Amino acid sequence: MAKWGMVIDLDKCTGCQACTVACGMENNRLPGENWQDVLFYHEGEFPSGTLKWFPRPCMHCENPSCAEVCPTRATYKTEDGFVLIDWNKCIGCKYCMIACPYGVRFYTDEKAQIQPDIKQVFKSDGKRSWNPPWRAPDNRDDWQHGVGIQPIGVVSKCTFCYHRVSKAPKGTADLDPKNPALREFTPACVLTCAPSARYFGDLSNPHSEVSKLIASKRGVRLRDHTGNKPQVYYLTGGAAGTIPTDRRGKKA
Amino acid sequence: MSNNAISLNPQTSVINALSLVGIAGTVLSLALVFMNMIDERHASFNTTSDGIVWGLPVATYVFFVLTSTGLTFVASFGMVFGIKEFLPLAKRCIWLAFATLVAGFTALAFELGHPFRMLWALPTSFQIVSPMNWMGVLYLAYVVFLLLKFQKIHAGDWDSSASKKLGIASFIAVTLAHATLGSVFGMMAMRPFWFDGLMPVYFLLTALLSGIAFAVLMTYIAYGGRREAMPEPLQNLLKGTTPTLYASMPVVFSTVLGVTLVALAARTVTGVWSHQDGFQAFDWMVSSPWFAIEAIGMVVAFFLMVSPRTRSEVGVQLLSSALVLLGLFIGRYEFVIGGQVVPVFKGNWVLDFIEYTPSLTEWMLLVLPLSLCLAIYAVGEKKLQLGAMPER
Repeated sequence: MAKWGMVIDLDKCTGCQACTVACGMENNRLPGENWQDVLFYHEGEFPSGTLKWFPRPCMHCENPSCAEVCPTRATYKTEDGFVLIDWNKCIGCKYCMIACPYGVRFYTDEKAQIQPDIKQVFKSDGKRSWNPPWRAPDNRDDWQHGVGIQPIGVVSKCTFCYHRVSKAPKGTADLDPKNPALREFTPACVLTCAPSARYFGDLSNPHSEVSKLIASKRGVRLRDHTGNKPQVYYLTGGAAGTIPTDRRGKKA
Repeated sequence: MSNNAISLNPQTSVINALSLVGIAGTVLSLALVFMNMIDERHASFNTTSDGIVWGLPVATYVFFVLTSTGLTFVASFGMVFGIKEFLPLAKRCIWLAFATLVAGFTALAFELGHPFRMLWALPTSFQIVSPMNWMGVLYLAYVVFLLLKFQKIHAGDWDSSASKKLGIASFIAVTLAHATLGSVFGMMAMRPFWFDGLMPVYFLLTALLSGIAFAVLMTYIAYGGRREAMPEPLQNLLKGTTPTLYASMPVVFSTVLGVTLVALAARTVTGVWSHQDGFQAFDWMVSSPWFAIEAIGMVVAFFLMVSPRTRSEVGVQLLSSALVLLGLFIGRYEFVIGGQVVPVFKGNWVLDFIEYTPSLTEWMLLVLPLSLCLAIYAVGEKKLQLGAMPER
């Protein structure tokens, strides 16, 4: 059984946000509510301040605190490493959003972040919380795995493009977007990444590219002290894209 | 009702007024909540995925269910631990515990995305590692035991083996339920403001104080603020003229309030002193004027209740219980929101705290449970002889 994971090389990431856009197209994200986001920030102060950025999908943790707190097992970890939400079982208590150390979960019924409220433009069909004409065909909806446009009253998140990756041939070590035979199984953000900063493969296979990169370039995990053990690793030499240091304390 | 129980009627006019306020408040707030939520659902809340996820309705829920727990504790003084001086309050406390529990779960029901789905998804999934799951199971057990116990004493059965066992079962169920609610917050390692293995103990302590203050306030309201209208054992309990001083309300009230103040102070001072990331929430907490109201109110109440000169006076007890309840409510709000004001993952680019002001719908979800609680209480006071006690 594969253990899917991602490596993001921050020295290659240009912060172009194509990943965010591709994810939005693939998964019908609401404007401003990005399952995959690139966070921009600055470190230091004038005149030595620098602009930084940080791409952030769901970490699909080995020990997902979101799954442990979910009272109805709506959030669950699959054998092959995905952390998913069953929209048929989610009661919308939002405990998972409290427990996620990375802030990558989204509740459906909230004020629109960007006007006009696109949910009001393409109103709900009674099943989905909104119903854009460009959405994927009905038969691709898979609520048990949190794929599609979410219904009302539930939490949603990045699925590692479960609808693509889960169909990959058994034994695949890497979903390399350069391999035409594997492109349809590769997550949208990986596929679209222009500087090829994203790698996706089987973390349990020591010969996979992701495993080799983590070993040879010292892949690190975000907020590893929480014990969640993300399956998304970052490579960083400290160029533009970097892992944010802890927030400057107000008391400093 | 059996012959060995006496009952004394509280002020009918006050109870009538309470039921009117309760019903009017329920109807009005329910109408506003429905008007706002029917179209917008939770978009009528000011909660956001990248901001405050659990808002005022969760704080309201915590306040009411904590008060319910405390009321059961007060009822248990007499019925489980045999401190007979507290028996005059027992029946009223059990009914109030039920009313506050309904109030708490009403707030929660409107906060959940799918409250009805919860009814089948919780038992069929049964996530044993989720504290929230256990909270649901234990609260269900609690409400069943509580109602059965009430039914027993309403039938005049205070002392039978079955009645005693139900009292003990309610006490154990609510202790565990409430401790689990503490764990819902206390187990969140990623939120340092909450993360504390002793959070269940802290919750139980503040619950007890909440229950005591609520019992005192509602008992006085029931009798129109006139202690002389109360049955003698109840007067003695509130006045502190019981045969043993420690088994009187002023002493128990001031002791529990004192211990709670120590716990609150310890938690606050540690939080403000420490440089732990996430503890900036304590700075947020103490810089709010609401914190000053909470702290000053509770300290004033403590000094009023601890002084032998003032603690037996009706006005002092009414004021103290009101100040304590206000302080505890502010405390619940600070607690629930404080765990979220420092973003868990925003890095250096968010230097400030997340801003949150409850929306009208969220405020109505405070008015609704409060009104419902008053209405349920008034019904009990009118129909169920809540002042009854065993004639011993």
